[in-house]
Amino acid sequence: MRKRTLKRGLSAFWWLTLVFLYLPLAVVVLFSFNAANSAASMTGLSLRWYHQLFANDQIMSAFGNTLVLALTSSLIALVIGCLIGYGMYRHRHRKLGWLIVLIYLPIVLPDIVFGISEMAFFVKVNELTGLLGPGLGTMIIAHVTFQIPFVALIVYSRFVGLDPSLFEAAKDLYASPFKRVVHFMLPTIKPALISAFFLSFTLSVDDFVISFFTSGPESATLPIYIWGAIKKGVSPEINAIATLMIAAVALAALASLVVNRRKA
Amino acid sequence: MTETSTAERHSQRRDEPHDGARSGVDAAGSERTASAIHMQGLHKRFGASTVALDGVDLTIEAGEFFTLLGPSGCGKTTLLRILAGLEDADQGRLTIGERDVTEVAPHHRSVNTVFQSYALFPHLSVRDNLAFGLKMRGVDRAEREARVERIAEFIQLGDLIDRRIDQLSGGQRQRIALARALVCEPDVLLLDEPLSALDAGLRSQLQVELLRVQKRLGMTFVFVTHDQDEAMVMSDRIAVLNGGTIQQVGPPREVYERPVNAFVARFMGHANLYPISARQGQRVTTELGELELEPDLDTPQQGGGELLLIRPETLDVRLGRHQGVNHLAGRITERLYRGSHAEFRLAVGDTTLQATINNRGRRLPEVGDEVTLVVAPEDLVTVAN
Repeated sequence: MRKRTLKRGLSAFWWLTLVFLYLPLAVVVLFSFNAANSAASMTGLSLRWYHQLFANDQIMSAFGNTLVLALTSSLIALVIGCLIGYGMYRHRHRKLGWLIVLIYLPIVLPDIVFGISEMAFFVKVNELTGLLGPGLGTMIIAHVTFQIPFVALIVYSRFVGLDPSLFEAAKDLYASPFKRVVHFMLPTIKPALISAFFLSFTLSVDDFVISFFTSGPESATLPIYIWGAIKKGVSPEINAIATLMIAAVALAALASLVVNRRKA
Repeated sequence: MTETSTAERHSQRRDEPHDGARSGVDAAGSERTASAIHMQGLHKRFGASTVALDGVDLTIEAGEFFTLLGPSGCGKTTLLRILAGLEDADQGRLTIGERDVTEVAPHHRSVNTVFQSYALFPHLSVRDNLAFGLKMRGVDRAEREARVERIAEFIQLGDLIDRRIDQLSGGQRQRIALARALVCEPDVLLLDEPLSALDAGLRSQLQVELLRVQKRLGMTFVFVTHDQDEAMVMSDRIAVLNGGTIQQVGPPREVYERPVNAFVARFMGHANLYPISARQGQRVTTELGELELEPDLDTPQQGGGELLLIRPETLDVRLGRHQGVNHLAGRITERLYRGSHAEFRLAVGDTTLQATINNRGRRLPEVGDEVTLVVAPEDLVTVAN
């Protein structure tokens, strides 16, 4: 009897947690289809906010910036992080603990500190050399910087999970160093690379603080646009953007999950 | 090594037949040659203090099933890895066939390895695993496919060829690992404790299979194990290693029955060893008493070793007291019944001794029985300490 009560309590707790997590999202999604002008009442379903959204040049340009930023930074971070992850694996027997802490620092550093430091650095470089003016370029550099540790960590743990004699088997079976990369290493860590890419992509789309400090006048991303727009009050348009972003992130997470399932 | 000398070595290999090569029939039924291996003064150290190999000189004949045997840390795996090119010797020379491969990278050596963990590529199917070596060597697709089909049939796993690696059992993986190495038709096949992960039944089945494959292909096999029974079943010759040096090289019977020193004697099986306190002609005195041996079996350097070796199975255990040459009076203190045979621990004078007798339906002595142990002079051998 008491065991059953406990079970019910736990299950209620679980549902409560889900409600807290997803109810606000559900509200945003629902109101994005609201026909009325205000968030106070729901008068009917309509796609007018979506039409308005796609007609808004500012939003479309912010959307384009977000996409370009996320894609470019994720790809660059993937290459660099993959090399670092492999390096960490190759030299795992050396005492490199301090180096690894150094690489993980950006993960634990508060975004605001990170963003301000990046901004200060770019401004100084810009003053001295005229390079690195605020814009998509500086944003890409900043995003790559915080994506790298995640990629390196994912790639490293994939390598660590492998039987070390696989590397020797590849050598033993006549693979030259280049062929070992193409025919053994890359195919073997492919699932890790794919999930690292999706994670980097989501982190980039998700980021507001660091983007805010490193962006230029022409390079506002969706989160920056939303923040600017919201100062004038929450418009149903914002709900529509939020809904699209939720859908995109959910799709990316799902894709990553499916890819990993199939490869594991 | 420079580019030119690598190229020269390659062309040399193609043009000239190997010295001392022995021919056999490969999986395709065509003639192939096996290669001899020469090792000269191989030294290897890990870090400042660990000596893995301390001067190894060894010749492995073409077409031989050769085993490197020893306890863990004896250097057998290091030696195998040097043969594969996965480790470089600090000093010494290594020749396979006619070619000096001391500094040749593993992917330029005609040597393949069956790894202890099998090391099958998880991202590839069985077929692609088998084809990996051929593909890396640039064998064209048609020939590659034909050879893979042939080898899969040869090891009787043709129906598994499109499976994924994680769908295979341990024994199947072992066979695939063997086939993946064999399909490249290397000059030498290296096997690093390939059966150690399997259970006893499957293990002895695969021992027989491996032996048949080797005899049929006539390929040089270098096998590493710490299991002396396995070494004796499989090998044409065994090298027993300890502390980075070779203790003895010889056919299984010689290594087991005529070990050169106490280490080899103990490692190959149970050994009753007694220091020799006095010797007069062919009679030696130990704690057991006076025993007679065949003069030409008084081995180590024929001057005679310091220890007398009695293998447990060479002792005849008779109930009661009897008199005669090499008769020892003893009392049973322990009996271990093992079905096909029984092991006895006996007290003889002030010392103990172990004897094994085959179970042939006769009465087995009991603990406490007074017995007489008889050993033939030709079964006694002396070894160095």
